[in-house]
Formats: sequence, structure tokens, C-alpha cells
Amino acid sequence: MPEPVIASVGASALGRTDLPGRDLFSVALEEAFDELPDPADLVEAVYVGNQSESYEHQIMYGTLLAEWAGLRHVPAERVEGCAAAGALALRHAVKDVRNGEHEAVLACGVEKMTSAGTSGATDALSAAFDRAIEQRSGITAPSQYALLAKRYLHETNATEHDLAEIAVKNHANAARNPRAQFPKEIDVETVLESDPIAPPLKLYDCAPVGDGAAAVLVTTAELAADLGRPQVRVAGSGASANNIAVAERDMTDIAGARIAAETAYEEAGIDAAAVDIAEVHDAFTVCEALLAEAAGFAPAGTGYQSYQSPAERADGWTDVQLSPSGGLKARGHPIGATGLLQALEAYEQLTGAAGDRAIEGAETALLLNEGGVADAVTVGHVLTTAEAP
Amino acid sequence: MTDGDLDATDPRTLPGFFDALADGKLLGGVCTDCGQVLLPPRPACYACGSRAVDVEPQSREGTVFSYTEVHTPPPAFAADAPYTVAVVELADGGRLLGRVAADYSDVAIGDSVELTVHEPTAAEREVALDYETDWPVHIFEPR
Ligand SMILES: [Zn+2]
Repeated sequence: MPEPVIASVGASALGRTDLPGRDLFSVALEEAFDELPDPADLVEAVYVGNQSESYEHQIMYGTLLAEWAGLRHVPAERVEGCAAAGALALRHAVKDVRNGEHEAVLACGVEKMTSAGTSGATDALSAAFDRAIEQRSGITAPSQYALLAKRYLHETNATEHDLAEIAVKNHANAARNPRAQFPKEIDVETVLESDPIAPPLKLYDCAPVGDGAAAVLVTTAELAADLGRPQVRVAGSGASANNIAVAERDMTDIAGARIAAETAYEEAGIDAAAVDIAEVHDAFTVCEALLAEAAGFAPAGTGYQSYQSPAERADGWTDVQLSPSGGLKARGHPIGATGLLQALEAYEQLTGAAGDRAIEGAETALLLNEGGVADAVTVGHVLTTAEAP
Repeated sequence: MTDGDLDATDPRTLPGFFDALADGKLLGGVCTDCGQVLLPPRPACYACGSRAVDVEPQSREGTVFSYTEVHTPPPAFAADAPYTVAVVELADGGRLLGRVAADYSDVAIGDSVELTVHEPTAAEREVALDYETDWPVHIFEPR
């Protein structure tokens, strides 16, 4: 079976931009193909992660972006799974290469979230929740995650101060990331004193609204070598859907994320302890705590210690470093592009291209990308430069 | 797979469920294989995959499992904010999300609540899809 690798990555600016979605994609593509032949001479299929047509009144992003890349007459499609759309696109590309159907597939993602203001984004995101019961009760993304956070704080020793520390840690990481939407440090007081959004979550517990696009080229190892590109193996890929309604799930054991991570570990032939860095879906601070536990990095009830250095954490924690990019919180969260921005960070970390934020000696990364609230759908990938076990 | 003919009178469809709710009856699916309660009822059990799902009346009494307060509502509910939302564990075992008719500061995990139902308000009708226009809206009252 051919081994899929990531051979190149690129991204647009993140945040409030003056470019529509297709143009954001063109910027990301230019970076990804800067040292490569034109896409038309390489790419055999395109998958586009995209959350919502409501931002630009545009579907058919597969067709549109393939055309804008100069790729006519290739299979191309939009992949939908709210904020997990990007990793789902990556997973499709990985499977196409793994099963021998294609040698080079473009996985990309785009979202133009700022087109309709905060209320437009709030409305678009609420479409990810069950319509019959949840939407009609006026639920929002922050309030969904607040329900998880309230329960997590109730069941564990974690406090709002701990959640604030997660935001502070991710902002500190973003301060060293030139791609970040918010490359600036903040303090705990700033988080704790920020506006209430859905208690216990405050403004600085929440990832921002922003525009962005990312492009990831998945190829066979042989093709990446022929192209002279640094390569990172996609050693494992897992995905799991769970109930649409968070009320019907276990709200502190994020089972879908656990299964997605375990599937990816199993394919890669590793366990959680082998993971050096992880980009997890910290759309809200509490997510990082919950996902650290689901990924097997932390014993149940101690995931909130993710902001502490490995030596300070509870017994049973691994030495993993979480969200070196700054995470969704501070790197940015342009919904359909997020899963691919996670892959971009891992690629740069594992190929020595992470500059000031490089985690020394990092060889293996876990990516966890969620869509809907928490594990409505989760996608996990193991990326590594280590030899296959 | 064997199913009876599902139509809009069957509580395993949303119109059937909301018709019963409008009459004050909260119906749940109950898996005859594993006992899982499904709110609203649906043709298959998410816990075990069985399609042997009975429809049974559910207690409208329960306790608050988790809760929050929405400060940044979707545009359709802007006039209502801030409002309290909770996940409620009902006495017969199902869990349902809904608004709570109480201030956030007056609610705690474990509080007893009861599900009540009202006809959609003019504002709720305005944002309803055509087929949702007459569906009732539920809200939890503190007990
Ligand atoms: Zn069952």
C-alpha cells in the first residue's frame, strides 16, 4: 500500500481580511506550490473543507477552487462537517493516496467568516446543532461548550482560573507564530475579567471569528522524494461521529475523540506516550482539557493541567506539548481551514520549519479536529517523521 | 431491517413527536434491547444499533445536569438574551436540552425542574420553517 505523506503546506493570512474565500485559497496555494511544479502538473484530485454557504452564498467549492488552481477535469468536492471539514478533507486525500487511486491530492479548506459580522457567524455556526430541539431553544456554539465546561468544573478540581491559564498558554505560543491571528501574550486577569459569553466561558475562553484558507499537498513518499520535498508521514487516520445533541452524550468523556485518536494511534503502531506535540481543537479553553484526556495524554479529570510544564502535571500525564501554534484560540479558527492549519503546524514542527516556536526533538504529532459541538464528529491524524515501528 | 410504515403520525418522526408534545405528552423512544431512552424518539437506538424502539410516555420531571446563560444569541433570539439553557436529566433516564424559566444565578446543578410546553410565540413563528410553524416549544420550570 502506498504510504501517504504531506509534501507541502500553505496558508493565507488569518483574521479579518479584504479577500473573498477563493482569493484566500489562491494565496494559500501559492505558498504551498512555491517550490513545486504548477498544480496542473501534479494534482489529481481536490477536497475542500468548508463550513457554510451562508458566508458567501457559495457552494460548489470543489469545482470553484479546482478551477482557480488551474485544475480542470479532476474529481473535486466540498467536504462538510462544520469545524472538522478540514481534517475530513485531509482524510479523504490520505485515503486516496493510500489506496493507490492517486499519487497527489490537494486537501484544502477555506472560510470567509467575517462577511456577515459576529451575529452572522453565530447564526451560521448554530446550524451545526440539532434543529428540532437545540436550535429552537436558542443554543449557540459558546453556550454548547459552556454546558460541557460547567459540567467539567463540577466533576473535577479544575477552576475557571485553570481554563484562563490554557488561554494564556496558547496566546504565549501564538506570540511566536508569525501566522497567528492574535500573536500577543495576555494574562490571566484579562481572561477572567473579559465579557461573559456563556458562563463559565468568557470572551477570552473563545476562539475568534476570522477568515482564512489552508492548502496541504498529500502525495506518495516516492513522489515527495522525487520533488525534493521534506516529507511527514501520515501514519494514522481515524474519524468518529457521535450524537448530534450534546445532551445525549457523556459530556466529560469525549468518546468520539477518544475513538478517533485511538484509531489513528493503532494505524500508526504507537500509543499516546509517543506523541511529542498535539494540535487539538481548542475552540474553547475547556476543549483542550477534555481532549487531552480523550487523547490519552492525561488521566481523567486532570486534562486542565495542559498549560503546566510536563514536570508539574499530575502523575500519568505524558510529556506532550499542546497547541504549539497557539491553537484555535490564538492562531485562529477559520472553520473549514482549521483542520488543515493543524496539519500545517505539525508539518512545520516536524520538518524544522517552526522557527522560534519549534519544540525541540519533536518527531510525532497528533491532530484532533472536531465538528459540531465537541465530538459530534472528530477526526484524528498521526503525523510523524519517525521510522515506522 | 424491518420497520413499520413511518408517517407523520408516528412519534418516531418529528411531526408525530411534536403533535403529542402539543397535547402535553412527552414521548420518548425506549430501546427494547438495551433500555436506552431516545429524546425525541427515532427509528434506531444510538447506544446499540437496535431498531426495536418502543414509544413510551416520559416523566416531565428531572434535574439540571448542566446549565449556562446565553449572552450572545443567534439573531432570531436577540430580544430574549440573556437567557438560561440547561441539559436536564429526566426521571425516566433521558436527557433533553431546553431553556430554563429562571435567572442563571438562581439555578444550580441538581435543581429539580419540570418540562412545560407553550405554543410558539409570534417571534418563534417568524423564524420557524414552514413545517415547524405549529410545533410547540418546551421550557423547564423550576420546582
Ligand atoms: Zn439499544
